[in-house]
Amino acid sequence: MEKIRAAVEKNNRSAAKVAIFKSTEKRDDEWSILLVEVGATQSRCAFAQLFEHFAPLLKSFAQASRQEGWFPDLAEDLVQEVMIKVWQKADGYNPQRASATTWIYTIARNCRIDMLRRKCNTQHMLLENEDYWHDPDEQTPVSLLRQKRTEQHVKVSLGLLPREQNTILRKVYLEGKSHAEASQEFNLPLGTVKSRVRLGLQKLQILVAPEFKEELIND
Amino acid sequence: MTKILNHHPKIEMLVELSAGTLDAATAICVSSHLHFCKSCRNEAARLDSVGAQLMYDAIPETIDDSLFDEIMSRIDQPQSVNEPVPEKPGINGFPAHVNKLIHEAKRTPIWERLSKSMEIAKLFTGQSKFEVALHRIGAGGVAPRHDHRGLEYTVVLKGSFSDEKSIYTEGDFIIREPGDVHQPMGAKNGECICLSAQEAPIKLTSFLGFFLNPWLRVNPM
Repeated sequence: MEKIRAAVEKNNRSAAKVAIFKSTEKRDDEWSILLVEVGATQSRCAFAQLFEHFAPLLKSFAQASRQEGWFPDLAEDLVQEVMIKVWQKADGYNPQRASATTWIYTIARNCRIDMLRRKCNTQHMLLENEDYWHDPDEQTPVSLLRQKRTEQHVKVSLGLLPREQNTILRKVYLEGKSHAEASQEFNLPLGTVKSRVRLGLQKLQILVAPEFKEELIND
Repeated sequence: MTKILNHHPKIEMLVELSAGTLDAATAICVSSHLHFCKSCRNEAARLDSVGAQLMYDAIPETIDDSLFDEIMSRIDQPQSVNEPVPEKPGINGFPAHVNKLIHEAKRTPIWERLSKSMEIAKLFTGQSKFEVALHRIGAGGVAPRHDHRGLEYTVVLKGSFSDEKSIYTEGDFIIREPGDVHQPMGAKNGECICLSAQEAPIKLTSFLGFFLNPWLRVNPM
């Protein structure tokens, strides 16, 4: 009896693994496919389509910044810098790890930081922001699946967040304000700002409860 | 590097790292923790999808047609072929960006003696909010008891140490707030190296410390 139960369990577990592998297949949205194409064949046509879609969004992202030292004229510079990086780095893009949108966002964020630091610092900056970024190199099927699910969930749920949570996330990500700056601007205690961000992230299923963390790591 | 760590940065630090608003010194420390902590690394990757979606949902701005041509002409320019830079051997197991700070600084970090069992090597980071440094505690060494006048972040890069509250091992991220008093002790079985970012001078609370204080000035570089 014990043996049968163990065998069934083992079978179930491997079935679950197969299911996970299947669902972590690469991203199949239009932009991720185009980005893979740019990386594989240096297709100018695919790049032009990516440009047409992302350049206006990147410009909007750049203009939203309210960081000290940032000014609107930098917006087109940022678009240019990001799109050139997209072209140069496309062959390193892995559609299993992230969607094209997430991948391009991280490039835009890093460029924004580096442009700001170059503008504000007379001192020599040794590290480019990319240096801080750690590729999640040893990802398991479970963490890949989770990343993909998060992207899908965020896509659907971000617009449904209570306005107070959405507003703060926009302030933090788009305007580039720290929690402390956001608390001053909204005239709210810092604790309230932090808890709104946390609540929002929980609703988006980005924060993992500690008890699940071990499970994910041990997989 | 898949062990489970007990001491992590606060979630708001990961959010600010993902949003790109964390100051450089804190980002160096948080990224060092990510090097060791898979769970925070995955959390940071998931957080990026929030920024990505906000960008995706933005109202598109008009782009001048000339911008595409300009980009294509820049792409077509013959690339200056970058000689592959021979990778300098870093300290094994250290995060790449910390090794970069150690090896590529204009001034090579120098270990200075802080007390009988503790040494410090200041790192050049090009920012002035925090002093970023490596601390080394010899095996079984006891650091002077001190309190903190400002924030301090510490990440264990090698070995382990303990204080009155806990034991800290490789990758652990420790936050000390003003007023925290502690006395770190190195593990008996080997030296411990930590990366730290310190906002304001620490103040030694022991009698001996009274004489040492003037040498513990914080010098962000």
